[in-house]
Parts: sequence; C-alpha cells; structure tokens
Amino acid sequence: MPVNEITYLEGIRQGLQHTMQEDPDVILFGQDVGSFGGAFKVTTGFLEAFGAARVFNTPICESAMLGAAIGMASQGLKPVLEVQFADFATTAIHQLLNNAGTMHYRTGVAVPMTVRAPCGGGFGGGPFHSEELEAFFCHMPGIKVVYPAFPSDARSLLVAAIHDPNPVVFLENKYLYRHIKELVPEAIAPIRIGSARVCRSGQDAVVLTYGAMVHEAIQAAEHLAADMGYRVMVVDMRTLKPYDTDTVIATVAATNRVLIVHEGWHTCGFGAELAALVAEQAFHLLDAPVRRLTAPDCPVPFAPDLEKAYRPNAARIEEALVELLEY
Amino acid sequence: MNDATSLFLLRVMLTTRAIEERLIRLYHQGRIFGGVYTGFGQEASGAAVAAIAAPNDLFAPCIRNLSLHIGRGASPRDLFRQWLGRADGPTGGRDGNVHFGNLDHGVYAMISHLGAMISVVSGGVMARRYQGMDSVGFAFIGDGATSTGDFHEAVNFAAVREVPLMVVVENNHYAYSTPNASQFRCRNLVDKAAGYGIEGIALDGNDAIGLTEALAPVVADLREKPRTVLVEVDTMRMRGHGEHDDFSYVPRELLAAYAARDPLTVCREILLARGLIDPPGLEALEAEVQQAVDEAQQAAFRDPPPSPSTLLKGVYAGE
Ligand SMILES: Cc1ncc(C[n+]2csc(CCOP(=O)(O)OP(=O)(O)O)c2C)c(N)n1
Repeated sequence: MPVNEITYLEGIRQGLQHTMQEDPDVILFGQDVGSFGGAFKVTTGFLEAFGAARVFNTPICESAMLGAAIGMASQGLKPVLEVQFADFATTAIHQLLNNAGTMHYRTGVAVPMTVRAPCGGGFGGGPFHSEELEAFFCHMPGIKVVYPAFPSDARSLLVAAIHDPNPVVFLENKYLYRHIKELVPEAIAPIRIGSARVCRSGQDAVVLTYGAMVHEAIQAAEHLAADMGYRVMVVDMRTLKPYDTDTVIATVAATNRVLIVHEGWHTCGFGAELAALVAEQAFHLLDAPVRRLTAPDCPVPFAPDLEKAYRPNAARIEEALVELLEY
Repeated sequence: MNDATSLFLLRVMLTTRAIEERLIRLYHQGRIFGGVYTGFGQEASGAAVAAIAAPNDLFAPCIRNLSLHIGRGASPRDLFRQWLGRADGPTGGRDGNVHFGNLDHGVYAMISHLGAMISVVSGGVMARRYQGMDSVGFAFIGDGATSTGDFHEAVNFAAVREVPLMVVVENNHYAYSTPNASQFRCRNLVDKAAGYGIEGIALDGNDAIGLTEALAPVVADLREKPRTVLVEVDTMRMRGHGEHDDFSYVPRELLAAYAARDPLTVCREILLARGLIDPPGLEALEAEVQQAVDEAQQAAFRDPPPSPSTLLKGVYAGE
C-alpha cells in the first residue's frame, strides 16, 4: 500500500477534501475560508475545486454562522463550519448548547454538522488565541467532541465527524498543525467516534491525555524509559464525547497508576471527568492516587516564560510521572 | 386577493384566538404546567404570512405567532399536547409551551434565546436553494429582540448572502415590561433596514388582509430576486408577557386604542363588508372552530404523558 508522510494539517485537509469529493451534501463555510484558504490554509484550493456554492466566506458572526449551519443541517446538508480560532466559538456558544444540542431531543430533527475549531497554545497566541475549551463543549448534551493528535486520526476522525448525524465539535490543535508528521496509507481508515488510541504500551503507569499533550507525554515516557527503565503507557483519548471508558479502565487495570494531562484549565477540566471515572469504577485497581497535570486556572499568558510556566510539557510530565511511580 | 384567502385568514385567526383563550382559562384554573404566553392581539401577521407562503418555504415563529403554526397546518390537538407535555405532542414533552414546530410544515421550533432562530431559518433556506428548491424564509421577532447580537448577525449575514428572507419585526411596543424608548434609539425599527442595506417596509400589524395584500407581491419578488427584507408591523400585546403578568405598566388608553383595532374584528368587518361571509355564516364558523378546539383539548387531556423511561431517548441522532 502506498504510504505518504503528511502533517496534521494535511490530514485535516485530506479528510475534508475526501468527504467533499464523495458527498455533495458537504459544504464548507467560515471566515476567509474561500480564496484565501482560511487563517491556517487548511482549505487552500477548495473554492476552486468545489465552487462558490459549496465553499464560501462569511461575515464575522459566529453565532449566525452556527445558526446557519444548524439550519442547513436540519435540511439534510452536512455543513462544515470553520471558526477561525476556538476562542471565538464562545460568542456562539448558546447556538451550540441551546439550539444544535437540543434540536434532535426536542423535535426529532437531526443536525449533522461539524464545527472545526483550531485551539491550544504554545506559540505566543496569548489569552484569546490559545484557549482549550473542550470541557465547555463536553458539558453540552447532544454535542460530540473530537480532538485528534495524529495526522491519520485527524483525517479519519474528520470524515467520521462529518458523517455523524449529530453536531460535532472538531478540535484542531494549532501547535500540531505543522509540527507533527506521520506516514499514512492513501486510503482513509475508518475510526469510530468514541475510541481511544493506545499510542505507547507500558505497565508501570498510564498517561491519559489528548491533543498536543499526547506528544509531550510520549516524549516524557521515552525519556523515563531511557533514564530509569520505567515503561509508561500513553493513551490518546482522541474523542472526548463520547469517550472510551473501556480503554481507560483497561489501561488502569494494566498499570495501576494514572496521570491525566491536558493543556486546558484545571477546575472542571476534562481531566476531572477522567479522574472521577477512575475513582468510581477503578478505585480498587489503583496503587497510587490519581494525578492531574493541567494548565492552572488563569488566562493563557502571552510572554514566552509565562506561557512556559502555564502549559504542561514533557519535562513536567516526566516529573509528575516520577512522583507517581515512586508513590 | 381571492375569497378563499380572506376566509383562510379569518379561520386561522379564529382558531388561534379560541386556542389561546382556552389556554388562558386553563392557566387560571391551574390545569396547565408552567406559564402561558399568547399572541393575543397579534394574530394577523402569522396568518398573513401563512396565507402568502408556498409549500417549500421555511419559518421561524416566535412567542406570539401561534397563528403561523395554525396557518401552516398545526392541529389544535397537537397544540394542547404541547402545552400539556404529552408523549405524542410535537416535542414529546421534552419541551413546552411555544417551543415547538414541525419541519414537515417548514416550521422551526424556536428556542427561548431571542434572536437565535433567524440565522437558523436563513441557513435552512440556503440549504433548500442549494438543493434546487424555491424557498423563502420568514423570521418573526419582537421589538425587544432586535437589540440582540443574534438579530444583527443574522440579518447582516442573510443580507450579504442575498438570502430570500423576510424578517418580520412585530413591534408590540413592550418587551416584557420594557417600552420601546428604553429598547432602541432609532425612530422606527424599520429604520434599521438602511444599516443593513436592505429594503424596509412598515405596515399595520393588525390588518391581516392588508398585510397579505401588501406582502404578497414582495414575497413574489423575493422569489425572483432573492434578497433579505425587513418588515416592521405595528401591533400590541393585549395581555401580559405571560398570564402571570398583570401588565399594569401598559397605559390602559393604549390598550383601548388597539382593542378597537383587534385583528379579528378588523378581519370580520372587511369580510362582512365585502360580502364574503354573512352574520349567520360567521356564527357557524365560530361555532365550528370552538367545537374543534373543545374536542382537541379534551383529547389532549386524555393523551398519555411521556414515560420517564424515555428520558434519554434522542439526545443523539442515530443511536
Ligand atoms: C436572549 C434572551 N434574553 C432574555 C429572554 C427573556 N425574555 C423572554 S421574552 C422577553 C421579552 C421579549 O420582548 P420582544 O422581543 O419585544 O417580544 P414580545 O414578547 O413583545 O413579543 C424576554 C426579555 C430571552 N428569552 N432571550
């Protein structure tokens, strides 16, 4: 099978392109997604390839964009909406929570729509271009949340998101766009929303994480293996709602020590959900208290030294793992 | 306008009024859950839009637009099921009161958040046109809700995309207790159209026949030359925001002035004057409507409530 090396961004692009080629019901809109190709150039060439009826720019109106996507989805289209930065989805959050998330429950009308939202920090984006809002989205009934960390998963999960009959928030980590490459086959493998990926095996502890932190955790685990001989498993949750409870429990059973890592805020973050699940269903399997390593509860700072102090990284994951392993 | 349309308007408004009178009574008898919110006195605009619209058109009614639902074919029994939270009602007891619709009739179920549905119906129309259908959208909105960001975003977006959308602003002069003077600074809401670069039309909101005659050619033109228009209709909410509200903040003289121009009275008089109905015919129609409402209410009371075992059904589609 032919294999190509692609970036995370290219994975997203291919997933989108593939569904648009296959399915005329898929249409794409957002700010500057047309001839400009989007703020991150994910959709370069799409306007030319698919035409102005399927690819169009919008004014700066996140709430109306979300609302229009809901209207389109309710008529059987599969709109893909790009919010320029996940941070700006906050000005449309009520459309997601109250309209998209309730429509099928209240009226039986499905709204198959995908909101692509570039998120995360690590590049000096400051408080309003770095936010990690997965916990907000996960809290909403009726919404699914997907957050890939690898090019292959980004590609497959975007296809799955677009074809899902529900509103899906597809979180794209901006830091990973051009940093992460992977060899992928030409054919897009299907991935079920709700399945985690065990990206590194190990038996001494497990890191449950997602997004950019997956790669930091892998680095930390490799370092620990080389330095101290520990074998640390790393699980990329990759879909956050629904999430893969079976894999979480199975990996806790296999390792008995759990570190949860994310670059979103601490209080009521997604890690709190994972920790609660482990406490409820796998307490008897634990040899040490569940640990969380997250961003602190403060706005995302701008200055490099501040952001470094804010955002978890491989070195801090390694420190936390050593404490956990030596407990 | 043909005779059938005039009679349609009258029947829709009579049905609406009869249902809402019944809802008001049920509320004060303590036989209904939660509050009761009616469009008492505002029946004309929804009826007129229903009379003008075509089968593939889409609608986003608001709190005061029961007549639009009725005009698009909602049955009185479904209405009562909705208000009583019955299993077989339009939202199966998952939502209540005015938050219902029926997309088979092109009608979206509003959410509470005022302004949120304008972009939804606009997106629905964009989709239908992409699918090759001739579809026009109608969004209803109160004077108060024109202050929301959602109103602005949605009207501007639709205007830019040239979505054939008629935004019907029902100026009933109060948003709950807040009068126009505390709500907006422009002289008339229709003035806002200029800021969006769209046409604005101001009309008497209590004359269903006049509205139908004035808006039918506009809608026909929207089908030819797709674009967004703003229509401000002048009307009055003749009861409280809901039945819990004594609306003592509305000057009684103002109410009296609008009571003299009650949409049903206006319509009846025109039909009688034009000889489209005679007093016995009118009486017979009213009796027929009342009977249908009685039967619908009784049936809905007998209809079963949803089972708690269905609580989680339908949170997600396809499961
Ligand atoms: C965004 C939002 N804010 C507040 C409310 C609460 N609320 C419900 S109806 C209403 C008044 C609405 O006034 P208007 O838009 O003029 O419509 P009317 O009730 O007069 O028909 C308010 C404040 C709401 N439903 N949505």
